[in-house]
Amino acid sequence: MSLKTVSDALSLTISAGLVLAGILVIFIWIKDRTRKISYLRIFIQAVSLFAIFSTVLLLAQWNSLVLAVVILVLPIFVGRFFCGWICPFGFYLDLVSLVRKTFRIRYWILPEKVNVYLHKLRYVIAASVLATPFFFGPLDVKTWSSFLQFQGSFKPLIVYFLGPLEPLLIPWPGGIGFNGYSLSYPYIRGITIYWNDPLFSTIAVWAFLAVTVASSFMVRRFWCRFCPTGVSAAALNRFSFLKRIPIVHLNKSEEKCTKCGICKRACPVQVTEVYEQKGGDIATSMCMMCLRCVEMCPYEGCLKVNAAGKTIIKSRNWLEPSKSE
Amino acid sequence: MKSQGQERKYVPELPQKEAEELRNSAKTMSMKVMADNIQRMKKTAPNRPEAMQYFDDISNFFGQREKEIRAEKEKGKKVIGYFCTFAPIELILAADAIPVRVSSGFYDTSKLGDRIVPVEVCPVIRSTIGAKMVGLSPYLELSDAIISTLTCDGMTKLSEIMSDYKPILTMSPPRVKDSAQSLHLWIEEIKAVKAQIEEVTGNKITSKKLRAAIETMQKATKAFRRLQDLRKGNPVIMGRDAMLVNQTSMWDDIKRWTEKTEALCDELEKRVQQKAWVCPPDTPRVLVTGTPMFWPDNWKLPTLVEEATPQGVLVADELCSSDRILYDPVGIDEWTMDDMLKGISERYLMASTCPCFTSKDGNEDRINWLLNKTKEFKVNGVIYYVVRGCMLYAMEYSRVKKALDRINIPVYYLDTEYTREDVGQLKTRVEAFLEMLTARVDF
Repeated sequence: MSLKTVSDALSLTISAGLVLAGILVIFIWIKDRTRKISYLRIFIQAVSLFAIFSTVLLLAQWNSLVLAVVILVLPIFVGRFFCGWICPFGFYLDLVSLVRKTFRIRYWILPEKVNVYLHKLRYVIAASVLATPFFFGPLDVKTWSSFLQFQGSFKPLIVYFLGPLEPLLIPWPGGIGFNGYSLSYPYIRGITIYWNDPLFSTIAVWAFLAVTVASSFMVRRFWCRFCPTGVSAAALNRFSFLKRIPIVHLNKSEEKCTKCGICKRACPVQVTEVYEQKGGDIATSMCMMCLRCVEMCPYEGCLKVNAAGKTIIKSRNWLEPSKSE
Repeated sequence: MKSQGQERKYVPELPQKEAEELRNSAKTMSMKVMADNIQRMKKTAPNRPEAMQYFDDISNFFGQREKEIRAEKEKGKKVIGYFCTFAPIELILAADAIPVRVSSGFYDTSKLGDRIVPVEVCPVIRSTIGAKMVGLSPYLELSDAIISTLTCDGMTKLSEIMSDYKPILTMSPPRVKDSAQSLHLWIEEIKAVKAQIEEVTGNKITSKKLRAAIETMQKATKAFRRLQDLRKGNPVIMGRDAMLVNQTSMWDDIKRWTEKTEALCDELEKRVQQKAWVCPPDTPRVLVTGTPMFWPDNWKLPTLVEEATPQGVLVADELCSSDRILYDPVGIDEWTMDDMLKGISERYLMASTCPCFTSKDGNEDRINWLLNKTKEFKVNGVIYYVVRGCMLYAMEYSRVKKALDRINIPVYYLDTEYTREDVGQLKTRVEAFLEMLTARVDF
């Protein structure tokens, strides 16, 4: 083991520890102020963006591992918490929403049916992304290049600075491969290998960005409603027998709920289960754990976020600054 | 008094002289009753909070507040009355108008109402009609238009009868609240009433004004909830006093009311520290639910409960004339006009526990509210108060009883009328119930 590897590992540990400690401190400091979840979230998103960038730039040979941990392992325990709080692409979409908010433009609400349809469509998208290297790989890449562009976070290197998740596409030695194509779904780095028309790819990439950003301007977090990464993160939420694995749960107390509907209106991905379900664990595969509903719920202790059996955040009577706890 | 020279559909002409006589006698009577009620409230709680003085003054129907509203009206402000808590107060405030609730609690005028509607009708309706016939209630007289929500059958026809006198802005709430189409209907109703309010007042409701109004009401809710939270512990304030505070918000200037309520809460918090309880901490804690009770005359039941031997204390209620008025805030995601109107619609429709709603699982919100309150306020017993003719509340009784039986809370069904004659008989019944509660508390 060379000295450089050790120093890299050390600095990585230190920076990761600092970020985690910072987040913890902010949590403790903010514990009392459910009202401020939004600010906290934006802050943590910005920190994560910075952390991901620095990991990628400074620790080149570790980046894939770190990001694989962040994107593959973390969701097992915290579900789509990643999407709401860490994902840089989600952060961009939130910034777009902020711009819209400052202009006092009203967002569009997708009809419930369309939204449900999108929820189902994301499995199709995820499946096709997964299948791409198997079926389309050996074919002429140019035929499929445009198709491959529409993969959200899995865009080629060209938009590296626009989508910090791009490094996921960089091949790293030791990955599981099949016939020269990567199988390490969802990070199909093999795709970039086929890429040999920079002009077309640039146009396609910018078109993709324009479409997602423009759509997110009017529909909150539009891309997140069918993002393939989100599907992989949420897969564990789909099966009831796996419900015990995630440690972060969103709980609702039936008696305290007056069905005022604020949670339904405030949700950026239009999840209706928080409103409709009677009580208990209400997180669904669509829920990004952004905790906007917990922030907006005006009833003390109606919505609770439980992590490892402990309540970390609960909705409170946000009309008054709380004194105790 | 006649509206635009049209012939009245319902109300017969009352000779001027007779009306005046009736008004004067009713006014004298209710002034006496008000003074008497306040006197008795003071007597029951010897160390009554000093901040209550303000609410005693403002609760006088024929006093300070009436003069203030008159003065404001002369300056060109409009007054908009409303019958049900469904009326969007934020919109009224945003249009620079004064919201006042005009449902009547006068006992004497309910007999006058009998001339138009049969005795079987809910006395709140009859009393309101009677009060209008003789021009008794100053707030009803002063209002330029009345928002009437067609909740129960009584309110539906009341708005029709009242249209003989005043412009009525009707709002029709859906009878089912947990469906997309009913919310849609209600949002349209809110938008329509917004336009009507703008027309009546001549002021446009801008998003800036609406936001200010919503924030004003949120502050009021904050003060209101603070007061309710104080009632959760040992009794520092008698239930009647708290009810009076809640009721005054229906006609007082809401900003001043918020200030005064905060002051009251400050005083009460000091008392909690000093452990200066208004009554012994083991007094049975009672929750009242059912038909709304309106100041001044319909103060019968709270008085009975808190003056009975053994004494009880009202710690919470589920009345749309008290704990439900300001409990729910309007929650706004983004401050756009559209979102504000949606927020207002949802707050008034979805959060309401009015028994006029039904759904596939029944009016479950009300049951949940009651169960939650019973636990939070450590209630020992529930009095289900119904006035004769109040169908919706009466019909929901058995369901409420079943739900409360499950958590072992005794419920007592008490039906009465707008009359002072049955006080003796009610007293016996209430005391028997409280005796039972005391036995349970001791046990």
